[in-house]
Amino acid sequence: MENIIEINKDVSVVAYYFRNAGERLRCFPKRIEWDGKRVDFTETGLRHPTKKGQRMVHVFDMSDGNADYRIEFDAERLTWTLISIADISYAAPHSSLAIAH
Amino acid sequence: MPRHIAALQSPINPAVPQLMHIDLNSCFAMVEQQARPLLRGRPVGVTNRKTKNACVVAASYEAKRLGVKVGMPFSEAKLLAPDMILVETDPPKYHYVYQKLVNIMKSYSPNVTMKSIDEGIINFTSTGNVNKKTLEAIGYEIKQRLKEDVGGYMTCNIGIAPNRFLAKTAAGLHKPDGLDIIDHTNLRQTLATLKLTDLTGIASRNEARLNAAGIYTALQFLDAPSDILARRVFKSVCGEDWYQRLRGWEVDDFESTVRTVGRQFVLDEWKPTEEVLRARLSYLCETTAMKLRYKGLAARGVVVYLRYANGDHWHERKIFRQPFFSNADVLTKASLVFNRRPRDDWVREMSISCYNLEPSNMDQVSLLEEVNREVWLTEAVDTINNQFGEFTITLATSLPAKGLVKQKIPFGSTRYFELLCNRA
Repeated sequence: MENIIEINKDVSVVAYYFRNAGERLRCFPKRIEWDGKRVDFTETGLRHPTKKGQRMVHVFDMSDGNADYRIEFDAERLTWTLISIADISYAAPHSSLAIAH
Repeated sequence: MPRHIAALQSPINPAVPQLMHIDLNSCFAMVEQQARPLLRGRPVGVTNRKTKNACVVAASYEAKRLGVKVGMPFSEAKLLAPDMILVETDPPKYHYVYQKLVNIMKSYSPNVTMKSIDEGIINFTSTGNVNKKTLEAIGYEIKQRLKEDVGGYMTCNIGIAPNRFLAKTAAGLHKPDGLDIIDHTNLRQTLATLKLTDLTGIASRNEARLNAAGIYTALQFLDAPSDILARRVFKSVCGEDWYQRLRGWEVDDFESTVRTVGRQFVLDEWKPTEEVLRARLSYLCETTAMKLRYKGLAARGVVVYLRYANGDHWHERKIFRQPFFSNADVLTKASLVFNRRPRDDWVREMSISCYNLEPSNMDQVSLLEEVNREVWLTEAVDTINNQFGEFTITLATSLPAKGLVKQKIPFGSTRYFELLCNRA
């Protein structure tokens, strides 16, 4: 079982925009900062749009090579939110976080 | 007539293959691995609920190699793959990939049929003037476009054949990331490598029927005369369909109509009380009514099905004079049936279905004021829920179940995918 930490906090973002890139890589959130922490991303896993009511939200699944981050860009409020961090480095086969048989 | 002579006379479809079946490999698991790079190369299981008894609805190839099968309880899968990582389904993510796949497919032909979330068919008939490449070249191009538009980890199986059945069979020959063509020149060689149960639609029961008629291999199935299949094996027109299907003739090009709309739920509590059951029933009725309105339908009949802890099951149906479509109406009607249930044991599973469907007349203003008020109230609630998210306004009786009864990912059909994504 992986270790997912729910964060749900607004974050500051440094993003790159590539005019000539395909839709998938047009926006690349390079760095996020919150509560004195800083993460530099190395890879976009998937970016997909979704809706919260009528509000369009873009979900970015990002990775810094050590953990996977889910961040959301609210296209109406222009805010970035760090939703969760998934760190499978804790996932030892018989971890206490694993579901008991 | 000896079978091999019959086989020689069999009219195998000599047409150039024009159908392409595209199947995403272990779709949900692969999309999760695409989204989260740290999951790549690891056994991953996708489930609707992260609980010990949850069932694995999709497994990555790494998990499959360890023996994990789709439909297996997580506790069992964990024994086979102790390092397996279980992730919960994320419908908007799959919907996005589905839309991308559809867009890619539709750029080659207007005649595209999606069979489910992760597989579809492109019919290239009459597109020869537009598509100058061979279907094989187009297949490899689609694989590349999937990687560019969704992500580099995405792969798909592609099958090309003269009919839907053989195209699907071809897509399953070399998993993952295969591309195969079946036509009249290699049909026999291909079927010679397959078991009966490798054929879509032949599971253990049909296999037993075929075995009883002396048919043990896919090649013997191909060689079996039409009348033997129709009269002795399947005892229906299905036998004739199989005869045509195996020879590359199209018999599966039809659209099914919606006959029932419903929801099903395996209880989250071992010993559910009356209040727990009522809350789940209310929630299921509400989402069933949403599905009805989403399809523009009203129902006149309702069925309630219950399965008990001892394995017994009970169901009862009731037809009503007036068609219904509102949340409260479906709940009232279902409760009438639900109240007649036997109360001898704990309920393990419940389902509600509406049938006798007809087009909803919500747009028709009624002479009866109370009918209009119900329609207007339903429309107002739907508008608010569309604006601010599903269940912003909900039945008070459904509240305890909200967040517990999760919408499952539909495997067979994508009819309610948009509705599901609005709700997710």
